[in-house]
Amino acid sequence: MHAKMIPMNEEKTAVLLIRENPIKSPDPYKIKELRGLADAAGYRVLAEVFQRRSRDFRFQMGRVKIEQALSYNPEKLIFYNALSPNQVFNIRSEFSAQVLDRFNLILEIFSTRASTREAKLQVELAKLSYDAPQVKSALALKKRGEQPGFRGAGAYEQSMYHDIRGRMSKIKAELADVENMGEDRRQRRREQGFDLVALAGYTNAGKSTLLNSLTGSEVEAKDQPFTTLSPTTRALEVLGRKVLLTDTVGFIDDLPHFLIKAFRSTLSEISEADLVLLVADISDPPELLRRKLAASHKALYDCEVKAPIVTVLNKADRLEEGKAEELVELIRDLAPYPVLASAITRQGLGVLEECIAQRLQPLQEYKISLPYTAEGLRELSRLYETTELLSVSYEEELIVRLRGKEETVARAGLSGARRL
Amino acid sequence: MMVCAVVSARISPNFIEKIHSVRLIPHVARALDLNVVANFISRACTCLPGTIVAESGDLYNLEIWRVKSILGRDFKYPETIAERTAIEMAHHTSVAGRRLIIDAREDDTNE
Repeated sequence: MHAKMIPMNEEKTAVLLIRENPIKSPDPYKIKELRGLADAAGYRVLAEVFQRRSRDFRFQMGRVKIEQALSYNPEKLIFYNALSPNQVFNIRSEFSAQVLDRFNLILEIFSTRASTREAKLQVELAKLSYDAPQVKSALALKKRGEQPGFRGAGAYEQSMYHDIRGRMSKIKAELADVENMGEDRRQRRREQGFDLVALAGYTNAGKSTLLNSLTGSEVEAKDQPFTTLSPTTRALEVLGRKVLLTDTVGFIDDLPHFLIKAFRSTLSEISEADLVLLVADISDPPELLRRKLAASHKALYDCEVKAPIVTVLNKADRLEEGKAEELVELIRDLAPYPVLASAITRQGLGVLEECIAQRLQPLQEYKISLPYTAEGLRELSRLYETTELLSVSYEEELIVRLRGKEETVARAGLSGARRL
Repeated sequence: MMVCAVVSARISPNFIEKIHSVRLIPHVARALDLNVVANFISRACTCLPGTIVAESGDLYNLEIWRVKSILGRDFKYPETIAERTAIEMAHHTSVAGRRLIIDAREDDTNE
């Protein structure tokens, strides 16, 4: 028996393959993005192979191009284009090569970075959602031409698809609990007088760095895609308003719908926020910047975001003087309330804070009465902390005039407060 | 039997600011191809100013410059949240409109 020993620190190698549609103009950013993703997943890229042709139904690209890629002896072939179950089966059986497509590469990065229970479950659900039809198709291919009975597929293989569906149901139920907990947490935070602001945007736009700059925290931030997977929340005071700023997972172009569904509990931090800060990297070339903003808009639409949006054009310090206004004009239709900022040099953060305070729903004035009971007095003490108390008069009952959030006042109703 | 719904609206990047008009145009064709779709869209958008926004699938994923030259109008695929919302609205309108027309025809036949 011969076994190959693989040292733990051995470098992973890959060849990138891109097939471009002949009727469309070539896209230089695709390979850049794929290379960035491969780097983030820890692969050393040996070569890049391009082909301009219509889709090959057996292998996605031409046979010769795949042989050319395999001549570099890579551990894996990474395709930019999505591979169908049949294509994966054909390439594996014909060339004995390990293949990944862009979506699987993203999932590989996610699974190495997932640290919380929620993130791990979401990655597993996304993987299973992708695998389920692949397994079904692979089983159909295996069973093609077989005889019923003795030469049929084994019970284990037959039940694999059903096992996957069962596991998916369990994960979905667990994630639904996490989502409910998140909803309760958001409600509690609103009752405590906080406004919820979410940071959203294309991956590697600088969301975590912006969170660190605004709140003075030290969340992990790196110049690579998908550094953040689980939401991270930090408190901040913006011109007298108490704000909770949440950093979320970045978006990427052409994400399959089921991946967005798998990350629903994380993305609900964006869809349920009071304000969304859409972060974009303004140092990108204009065409790429527009495309990334459009991809972010699509993801926000898929998340059913109804909150107002402020666009933070981050990394403005990398631009030449006078170029920023020109760029802002180019993306005006995609960038609501654009603010030029730099999370590293802290340029424009003051303007951003003003913009946040302006775009948040203004606090309403309320007049309520509280009973002279221990509970009423406890509620008054809570209102001192969570709202801006304008006046308190001690009459037959406590008459309180305050400025605050609807949820905070509704919470006071539980302690016997009445609105006047 | 096809129905094309047109929503003429003024939009900001993430909201529909004002809906000027909603138009429903029915059309009967034996087969569907790019010419039929392009003529149908052109007819439905007659006298409506502004850029036409439509789903890429409706126009066979053609590149924007080709669609512009076929329609002879400014054209784009949806990018912003507001554009997608407007298209969703047009989609619901066309489905409901088609159903109403078909129901009305069935009622007429039964009578």
